Amino acid sequence: SCSMAGEEDFFLEEKRFRQFCEEFVKHSQQIGDGWEWRTSKDFGDGYLSKTHFQVRNRHIPPDLKEKNNDNTEEMLFAHVEEPSDDSQAAGVCSTEEVVRYEYHVLYSSSYQVPVLYFRACFLDGRPLTLDEIWGSVHASYQARLQEGPWDTITQQEHPILGQPFFVLHPCRTNEFISAVLRGSQEHHRNINYITLWLSTVGPVVGLNLPLSYAKLAPEQSTAAAV
Amino acid sequence: VDVLLKAGGDTPIMRTKKWAVERTRTIQGLVDFIKKFLKLMASEQLFIYVNQSFAPSPDQEVGTLYECFGSDGKLVLHYCKTQAWG
Repeated sequence: SCSMAGEEDFFLEEKRFRQFCEEFVKHSQQIGDGWEWRTSKDFGDGYLSKTHFQVRNRHIPPDLKEKNNDNTEEMLFAHVEEPSDDSQAAGVCSTEEVVRYEYHVLYSSSYQVPVLYFRACFLDGRPLTLDEIWGSVHASYQARLQEGPWDTITQQEHPILGQPFFVLHPCRTNEFISAVLRGSQEHHRNINYITLWLSTVGPVVGLNLPLSYAKLAPEQSTAAAV
Repeated sequence: VDVLLKAGGDTPIMRTKKWAVERTRTIQGLVDFIKKFLKLMASEQLFIYVNQSFAPSPDQEVGTLYECFGSDGKLVLHYCKTQAWG
């Protein structure tokens, strides 16, 4: 059940969410990772946003590659006759395509956790389906998709932008974050919740955080000075 | 690379905690190993954390992590499992 509370739950208050995001963005700026904080005029809320472009290799169907070169004309002719809705066949020559990925981190006041929204589209504006996004995710991450601590990925309207995004459902976020933090009572005050959470869920949707975020914990000690 | 594995949350503790791991072993490889060792169900997922605050990418190499986060000649990693799914 999603509403089962553990012995100690580490719910994220909105104020803390903003603080963690601020720290996170600062580090991102230092290493040029592209995250920024966006605010909306109409809503008081703000959110983290990152856009990045990725070149994907598209597979050339093996039978086209292996066809006898003497039959060039025949090959081209055969290609033209392929159904136009077969996205794999479009453009014999191009083996690469550019995809624009957008990731947003919003705060969910009902679950009191951050939520990951994402979408991807080709440069001509055509959005990628979820299957197409998974196609470029590493195989081991795909396993996580089925087995990870999230309920489902659904398509929802972005609360601030009003456009369709895929969302990693936040139902089990608190459960696994609490499990990780439970063992580190003194330490956890210095842990950036966003870094911890995003490094765990990000790879499943093709989002990787560089290792340098792991050093994000603030330097100051909480021990009293003598 | 010497790795010390610590259990987080409700995760079972491994009887052997210290392991010598090849530098090129990836996090995903380590995850698969621990899952087998603990006899976890296929539907249970295991995550590894460094500094108890960051989950390295599955293809991150242990050698690199040791260089960045190792101390006293070893790398301490925490592992955490999630409940069985379905």
